[in-house]
Amino acid sequence: MAFKPSLRSNNEEVDMELDIRPVMNLMVVLIPLLIASAEWVKLSIIEINVPPAKTAGVGSGESDQQQVKEKQLHLGLKIAIAHEGITIGNAVALLAGDNAEGPTVGLTADGKYDFAKLREKLIELKKKVLGKGFVDENRAVITASADIPYQTIIDVMDNLQTYKDAEGNVKPLFPEINFSKIMD
Amino acid sequence: MAFKPSKSKRNLGKEEGTLNMNSMMDMMTIILLFLLKSFSTEGALVTPSQQLRLPVSTAAEKAKKQVSVSIAKDALLVNDEPLISTNEIPKDQMLIPALAMKLSDYAKQERDLEVEVGKVFNHEIIIEGDEKIPFELLFKVMFTCSKSDFYKMRLLTIKKG
Repeated sequence: MAFKPSLRSNNEEVDMELDIRPVMNLMVVLIPLLIASAEWVKLSIIEINVPPAKTAGVGSGESDQQQVKEKQLHLGLKIAIAHEGITIGNAVALLAGDNAEGPTVGLTADGKYDFAKLREKLIELKKKVLGKGFVDENRAVITASADIPYQTIIDVMDNLQTYKDAEGNVKPLFPEINFSKIMD
Repeated sequence: MAFKPSKSKRNLGKEEGTLNMNSMMDMMTIILLFLLKSFSTEGALVTPSQQLRLPVSTAAEKAKKQVSVSIAKDALLVNDEPLISTNEIPKDQMLIPALAMKLSDYAKQERDLEVEVGKVFNHEIIIEGDEKIPFELLFKVMFTCSKSDFYKMRLLTIKKG
């Protein structure tokens, strides 16, 4: 004989709701805390490593080092920023622009520096230089007229960092940056 | 004649309702995730001001706390303490004597720390320049820094995008 289903076990379904008030309390505390410590402006840095300033009194070992250095190939790339445009060159030659006279990269039609063209020229140059055994193939020296604003120099430096080669790999362009000044 | 109280409205006020907080919870969760993503324990490196607007750059390197030189439009600051005004910077020489002295002090302190507690003096300095300062001024400051034994310079910029 089968048992008759118990009448007592016929419980009503309990309608329960999750109590989320403690979670809400936690949120209310956490959100102001995180807002206070969030970084709203992302800062970044550009590294410039200048060789340490030479102290007076040259040691005797210096001359030997000097001789070794002279045998190495130096590119000595310089980038000069003037109001008329940007000139690329080194101690031996200047890279010619579209016009025979004037800077390598001129201004765009609306009077701004033509960074796209500067990049193009530099990548072209980098490809020629690569693998020729220059010791300073990643180095560039930036020089500028006295009243060129800081932002322009940063923009030029941004364009000197990396490039993509034919396979799409990111390669260093001329990331080691030094500064020099035109003596007047 | 007064109205007879309505029988159907007698129980209206006693009904118990619950607040539906589901959508609010969703919102809070999203905000919480966003804030956790932008969480930083390092604190602010610079306090923005009218006189010091950092240039914008694509550089990705993270900034660290170091000795800093700020070049604002009107003054030169070392570790956020005003040093000299930009008018007082000598025009005919490269070295800025006041800055060089201050930085030499810091370099000496760092060296002492290196001897006493073994904190390595890494020669790093942060340069916070206003976006409008001329190259000449920047160059003078950099020259002075390298002369004062801080030859690893980090130019602080605001990250683009």
